[in-house]
Amino acid sequence: MFQTRSEYDRGVNTFSPEGRLFQVEYAIEAIKLGSTALAISTKHGIVLAVEKRITSPLMEPSSMDKIMEIDSHCACAVSGLTADAKTMVEHGRVESQNHYFTFNEPMPVESLCQTLCRLAMSFGGEGEKSMSRPFGVALLVAGFDEEDKGNDVGGYTLYHVDPSGTKTKCRAKSIGSGSEGAQTSLNEEYREDLTLEEAETMAMSTLKAVMEEKVNVKNVDFAVLKSPKFQVYDAKKIQEIIDRAA
Amino acid sequence: MQDPDAFDLGGFEFSASSHNAKEGGFTSKLATKTGTTISGVIYADGVVLGADTRSTNGETVADKNCEKIHYIAPNIYCCGAGTAADTEAVTGTYYVYFSIFQLILILKGMVSSALFLHRKSTLRESRVVSAQSILKSHLFKYQGHVGAALVLGGFDIHGPQLFTVYPHGSSDCLPYATMGSGSLAAMSIFESDYKDGMSEDEAKLLVARSIRAGIFNDLGSGSNIDLCVLSRAGTKYLRNFEIPQERTYIRAEGYKFKTGTTVINKRNFQTATSTTTEPKKIL
Amino acid sequence: METYDAVGENNFNPSSYHGNHTKQHATWSPYDNNGGTVMAVAGEDYVICAADTRMSTGYSIMTRQYTKVDEMSPKTLMASAGFMADAATLKKLLKGRCDQYQFANNKPIGCVAFAQMLSNTLYMRRFFPYYAFNIVAGLDAEGKGAVFTYDAVGSYERTNYSCQGSGQQLIMPVLDNQLKTVSPLVLPAVSSATPLSEEEAIDLIKDCFATAGERDIYTGDAVELFVMNKDGIRKETMPLKTD
Repeated sequence: MFQTRSEYDRGVNTFSPEGRLFQVEYAIEAIKLGSTALAISTKHGIVLAVEKRITSPLMEPSSMDKIMEIDSHCACAVSGLTADAKTMVEHGRVESQNHYFTFNEPMPVESLCQTLCRLAMSFGGEGEKSMSRPFGVALLVAGFDEEDKGNDVGGYTLYHVDPSGTKTKCRAKSIGSGSEGAQTSLNEEYREDLTLEEAETMAMSTLKAVMEEKVNVKNVDFAVLKSPKFQVYDAKKIQEIIDRAA
Repeated sequence: MQDPDAFDLGGFEFSASSHNAKEGGFTSKLATKTGTTISGVIYADGVVLGADTRSTNGETVADKNCEKIHYIAPNIYCCGAGTAADTEAVTGTYYVYFSIFQLILILKGMVSSALFLHRKSTLRESRVVSAQSILKSHLFKYQGHVGAALVLGGFDIHGPQLFTVYPHGSSDCLPYATMGSGSLAAMSIFESDYKDGMSEDEAKLLVARSIRAGIFNDLGSGSNIDLCVLSRAGTKYLRNFEIPQERTYIRAEGYKFKTGTTVINKRNFQTATSTTTEPKKIL
Repeated sequence: METYDAVGENNFNPSSYHGNHTKQHATWSPYDNNGGTVMAVAGEDYVICAADTRMSTGYSIMTRQYTKVDEMSPKTLMASAGFMADAATLKKLLKGRCDQYQFANNKPIGCVAFAQMLSNTLYMRRFFPYYAFNIVAGLDAEGKGAVFTYDAVGSYERTNYSCQGSGQQLIMPVLDNQLKTVSPLVLPAVSSATPLSEEEAIDLIKDCFATAGERDIYTGDAVELFVMNKDGIRKETMPLKTD
């Protein structure tokens, strides 16, 4: 057959004879180079935690935002090419606002993730909006759905969206360079009845375990999505969690 | 511009018409134009006239049980469609007052009054053609502005007669006739089932059926059926000959309001005293 | 021979009496009014949407059994009066949008979301409107009755009861009198929902339609009541006068 991948790994719209899209696979690989991000969902809210790689003491850590608000009921933590993440989040924000304008209700989290997946898959097409390559970013999208009597919906949900345009509902998920180790410890330690505080501690200790550097208030970001408000933690609050996780 | 006074325009005031012409024409929005079904048929011994009893004002029903068969003479009646005020003014109605001493009969309406006087001076029964002539010449004179569409029926020395008179003054003499917004519905019954020399009962049922067709298929017509039978034997005015439909739902407990629903802010009682002054004597 | 239309209206132009003929241009209109009355009443745990079944044009009845109330989703009813061609097109479009919503969000559209969507859809046609006067009725996310009432270009409001169409002027004052509840500003807070029970509301609606049928020529033939509560949607039909 074919000796190398090289013939089939250039075009984003060409399958290899084995049925693989190498560019998409490479994009997924690219995430593994990114900083670690993780999210843990509980009945009371979702904790989002990311590692920030401060490569120089002259860098301003607050300018690096890897946790972004999409709407008041929905936020995400990202890993990979953050510039690509900006594009996706911006798309999600527009879709969410459009849903609110049309239906006078917050956009369901799953629908919102679906629009992000659609965007992720829109590479290779014609037109100004399309990308020439897959997005090199993965997102952990945390959201809250309002309760609706009669329709069994409502509560907190966490989705993992990757460059292949696949969304997966998760209870706890990590992405990025330390994701393998982090995911193993999350799998072991996760419980359905976690309190928000326990989730915060778990997120911090997991991050601590996989990060090369020692955690401090500068090199991690924490946020919680808890109805009615999404909240990014300040240094004081992060320090509290660091102390708790010690 | 011609001086409107140069014309003999009869009893109406036309001085505003030249002004209205400059303004681009005048359309009257005040008059009640009733959608109606009226009809009549000649049978072996006489004429049967029929009418519905709905009076409309735009899309609302103004009167659910009005009379559209008007008195012309004891042996002549006339159904009216079109502008209610015009049909009433042109044909006739009579009021009977019972005073202590005598029975007073007051006639209103152009033709009925004219024929009344004519009977008093000739001492003969009124003829249907007389009514027809007065009506059409009057309507023609007003060029359609008097909006009366009529079915005129009666029994005189020439036997049973039936006419239709249009608002512009044209007329037809027919064995069966319909007028009003329900005229097509009513005519469909006559066109399928009319026959010469019907009995009185047959004729009554046929006319009632034609009116019913108007009541149910024309929104301008509705409620009940009035009939009038005119023959050598005399005249029978069959008011509400048929009530085809009753209301389908009535709220059991009605609408009761607690005492005090309307708040009384102030009460003031005063003994009534006459304030009328003696009428001034005019010398 | 020239004859005139049956209602006795004349085609005579008064200005020609004096010799000057004003030109009359064709006043063709893309709209018609097909009459009919629709109404809705919301209670604490139910909502009723009702409409007569007559569809007419001018003085003629086109059909005596036209359903003006549609189930747009399991929790949403919509009733329209006005121009039925526009109303039917509007409903067709909205039903498509409801399906799209279901596909995109994995749940049927709720009445509050539908209400906003209808408003937007109407306002999109601000300068060539759908000549339809709509009422949306449903149960909200809390299971409470909700009525939304619209004008032709999308202005809307959530209320507890509403009436639109040819019988509106006859029915609305009765509803105001029978259903108007205390101000929402009054303390202690009182529910703003209609105080009647489901049966009492049905009784009132039937009487409203029977009364409107007596005086409005465009209301008649039958009334259909769609009653929505926690058990689902049930339909009742009552005959009205057909004259």
